[in-house]
Amino acid sequence: MEGNIEEIKGAIALIGYGLGAVGPGIGIGIVVGNAITAMARQPEMTGTIRATMFLGAALTEALALIGFVLFFIA
Amino acid sequence: MLAAQEHHCDVVNEVICAPADVKDWFEFLDPLFTIGPLKFTRVSLLMLMAAAVAVALMYFGLRRNRPVPTKFEAAIQSLVEFVRDGIARDVIGPEGAKYVPYLLSIFMLILVGNLFEVTPLINFPITARMALPFFLSLITYFIFVVVGFSKNGIHYLTDVAWPRAVPIGLRWLVGLIEVVSTFLLRPITLAIRLFANLVAGHLMLTLLLGSGVAFVLAVGEIGPKAGLGVVWFAVGMVFFAFEIFVAILQAYIFTLLSAVYIQASVHPQH
Repeated sequence: MEGNIEEIKGAIALIGYGLGAVGPGIGIGIVVGNAITAMARQPEMTGTIRATMFLGAALTEALALIGFVLFFIA
Repeated sequence: MLAAQEHHCDVVNEVICAPADVKDWFEFLDPLFTIGPLKFTRVSLLMLMAAAVAVALMYFGLRRNRPVPTKFEAAIQSLVEFVRDGIARDVIGPEGAKYVPYLLSIFMLILVGNLFEVTPLINFPITARMALPFFLSLITYFIFVVVGFSKNGIHYLTDVAWPRAVPIGLRWLVGLIEVVSTFLLRPITLAIRLFANLVAGHLMLTLLLGSGVAFVLAVGEIGPKAGLGVVWFAVGMVFFAFEIFVAILQAYIFTLLSAVYIQASVHPQH
């Protein structure tokens, strides 16, 4: 019985991480997609746009990574 | 791998088998040796080694100022220029020159520490221990809070907590969110971003490459099923290349975000 509860807790943490990864996944898609649009429009600004893109992607990714860490803690 | 066999993993009937405790592969709790009150584990030795490697790279790369640098010197110089121009000057502005030593130090330490993940025979990123990322993010936190208060006085706090650009009805709510995100979430997310990326990469590499090797070595017991190990090892090698990219990118992002946070304290109005 004890083992079953542990397994259920692990499975719930896994589902929680999966749900938590949805939002940041969409967010990174939007960030990178808009960065590609901007680079195609103004190729001379590629360097600045790429740095800003990594920044935005990193800020968005943090949410997914918190979910990943919570999965191990739970 | 040896740990998995000791836990009586049934390689014949189970295709995928978990170790009894996954922590066995990731913790080195027994100190290797002790000097006075200090206990040295493998990780703390690797941290000292990373610092030594970073200092040695800087020293030998920038020792001589030759008109025609060697390839190694040119690479180190372009790295320094990248941090100075690409991060400090572009993000912080003319005042950024003051912060170049700090940014360069954390960039080199994190870069070397991250690349330990893909260095043969070491294969352990020291930034996958929460101690190092969290301490580095606390230093950044300390710097941007001190700079914010010394440049703007108490207005630094009031501008964050009481933003004048927002309509009065929502101002308290936006201020509350801003205070929590600036003073509480920034250092935590900065540390967790680096830590979790490297832990995830290390887990991936260990599981794919390690289980690949374990399967191939078990060919005597499980026969042709051992071919699965070759596939896993190949996928692991693809991730190996990807992890080199992640290691460099995360060092860059940690430094860039530190610069962005310092910039927000130097010029709080934007």
